[in-house]
Amino acid sequence: MASAVSMPKLGMTMEEGTVIDWPLELGKAVEKGEIVLVIESEKTEVEIESPASGVFRHVYVEDGETVPCGTLLAAITETADEPFDADAFQAAEDRPEKKGDAGLQVAKAPGPKADTTSSEAPTRKPIAPAARAAARKLGLDPEEVPGTGPNGRVTKQDVEAYGRAREALVQVDGNVSLEVLVSGEGDPVVLLPGLGTDVSAFARQIPLLAEAFQVHGVNPRGVGLSDSPGSESYEVAQTAADAAAAYKGTAHIVGASLGCAAALEMAFNHPDRVQTLTLITPFTVVSPRLRALADAWPRLAAQADPETVAATLMPWFFSTSFLADDTARARTRRGLAQTVARVPAITLDRAVAGMLNWSNSRSEDLSRIAVPTLVVSASEDLLVPDCEAITGKIPGATLLTIEGAGHAVALESPDLVNQAITAHLG
Amino acid sequence: MSRKLGTGGAINEAIAIAMRTDPTVILMGEDVAGGGDRSKEGTEEMGGVLGTTRGLVGEFGMNRVRDTPIAEMGLIGTAVGAAATGLRPIAELMFMDFLGTSLDPLLNQASKLRYMFGGKVNVPLTVRTVSGAGMQAAAQHSQSLYWITTGIPGLKTVIPSNPADAKGLLLASIRDDDPVIFCESKGILNQSSEVPEGDYEIPIGKANLVREGSDVSLVAFGATVRIAMKAAEALEGAGTSAEVVDLRSLSPLDEEAILTSLEKTGRMVIIDESTPRCSIARDIAAVCVDKGFDFLQAPVKCVTAPHTPVPFSGVLEQAFLPSAQDVLDAVGQMD
Repeated sequence: MASAVSMPKLGMTMEEGTVIDWPLELGKAVEKGEIVLVIESEKTEVEIESPASGVFRHVYVEDGETVPCGTLLAAITETADEPFDADAFQAAEDRPEKKGDAGLQVAKAPGPKADTTSSEAPTRKPIAPAARAAARKLGLDPEEVPGTGPNGRVTKQDVEAYGRAREALVQVDGNVSLEVLVSGEGDPVVLLPGLGTDVSAFARQIPLLAEAFQVHGVNPRGVGLSDSPGSESYEVAQTAADAAAAYKGTAHIVGASLGCAAALEMAFNHPDRVQTLTLITPFTVVSPRLRALADAWPRLAAQADPETVAATLMPWFFSTSFLADDTARARTRRGLAQTVARVPAITLDRAVAGMLNWSNSRSEDLSRIAVPTLVVSASEDLLVPDCEAITGKIPGATLLTIEGAGHAVALESPDLVNQAITAHLG
Repeated sequence: MSRKLGTGGAINEAIAIAMRTDPTVILMGEDVAGGGDRSKEGTEEMGGVLGTTRGLVGEFGMNRVRDTPIAEMGLIGTAVGAAATGLRPIAELMFMDFLGTSLDPLLNQASKLRYMFGGKVNVPLTVRTVSGAGMQAAAQHSQSLYWITTGIPGLKTVIPSNPADAKGLLLASIRDDDPVIFCESKGILNQSSEVPEGDYEIPIGKANLVREGSDVSLVAFGATVRIAMKAAEALEGAGTSAEVVDLRSLSPLDEEAILTSLEKTGRMVIIDESTPRCSIARDIAAVCVDKGFDFLQAPVKCVTAPHTPVPFSGVLEQAFLPSAQDVLDAVGQMD
């Protein structure tokens, strides 16, 4: 049996000591309590007694060396000839203390994630702590939530509203989910918005329709919270198939502009799901002016803020008399800006590509439509000039032309449009 | 039954009830009996600099209602000793500003004895003291120093906001077996309200939800409760529903009440008439940020006096004190 002589810890602050002298000769007998070692620490020399009686057998640290507290300095064995393995003894008994704050344990270190390789400074959006907590509870990323607080701060209410909107997602095809806003009870009515807009284009129709019907406002791919699967184009037939998957049974289909194209595709491809058609400012061929606007719009959306995009679109969508009213113009521009903010440029690119692919593909098929159809046109519409011709080709279709209104007739003349739709749906 | 009573009257009544129900309760301080003329047992001359203890010497005699020299270290030191050896003294420290000359017996004796003697000694002492600004008493007689006593473990610090609370909290303080600093805000001394008759206690360490609301929490104590209520009424007119929490006690602090209110409203304003550094307001702000982080919809706001001595000029003194407008401005900065 061997006993260890180690560098003692003589005070709370002592971290290391220096061996000054080994007063005994190696191999000599030593008594327990006899001075076996002199060390220096913090400018004081201290004599260290032998922990056991025996033979001074092995020295690990020579005079003059400074070592941490706990370092094995020497071994004392019971007898001079007992077996002693110096290395094994050192492995077992050498316990040098780590210096400084080695005893502290960091539970968890917040900070930049290791996989953040971007050299750009992270732009942090202001998010209220309560909003973060609410987002955690709902399992969503608060960075995705549009903020309405001061400086665009995301509030708890924003997160909850976003969470509710996300619950409105309906899976339509494989992994694709669309934002479908449902209100009211009754037979289904499906609303299909036009290019670059969302269901809010029908904001003036939904409350009335929801009194008698179950209204399904379908935001197409890439709009609002609807998924944006990668694709060259969002084909009109796909939009129609998505919409057909978003409700059950048969429905009254109401489209506006490019939404009419989807409504027509539903009538062709899913005739048993369509009870009536309401086509607000429809087209079957993209007019040169619409084509030119479709050229400009995605570029504008890629480079300008939503307010600017909305302001630039106003003259295309609204009539002279509507634009003459400063209050209505400002209010509508703000609303349009919110809508525009929900349609990224890439979605516009894809939707325009789909629209151009579809253009002129169904002009000859209109005579096959067998459901009651209402066409609503606007006399000042700059974008779709063919409403009358389209009405003429659909058997039994009726045309309502609203005088003095522009392309966005559902927003501009809601009362006349609502009357016509209500009468048409019965 | 209750009747209208001023804060001073309510405090006087609480002391009388405590002295009637417990013969070990004594009252001591500068002029608390009658002033300098010791021959006039039974006089009602002074009753303290503000007349709060008037009449007590008549009922309880000069053995139990004792005038002391103008020497706060001796007054408070004696009271601590009396408390440690069997009495239940109420010591009046005329103005809280005199804490400086009486601090050691509180800081190193009263607050430590029970701890250091393993519970074998109690110090059932109540120090009544007038705190705060609003009487043009100038920089040396107007300070709100409850943040100092709150910062000393072993002391309790109580601060009522109205006469009825003053009576119930003072009775609870006198009967508490630990030393209590009982702050009488100058801002409530001229208040009167319905005060219940008879003997009742209000528990120390429990806040009082004095107004329910859903949009913003106003945490106040002492004289600032009235400011918070005024701000809450103005906010209601503007369509914002404010909740008002009266802390009643700064130590122990009812963190649960503070955090419950914050969880409900998501917004916190603390109104404290003391200077801002190391204040109760910032202490509570730290509680909100640390333990209520996930409740926060907006930054926590502290409405306090500025970091200056209390001005003597009445105009400047009013500008120094937090006002309902300051609270409205703080709420306005939230959203």
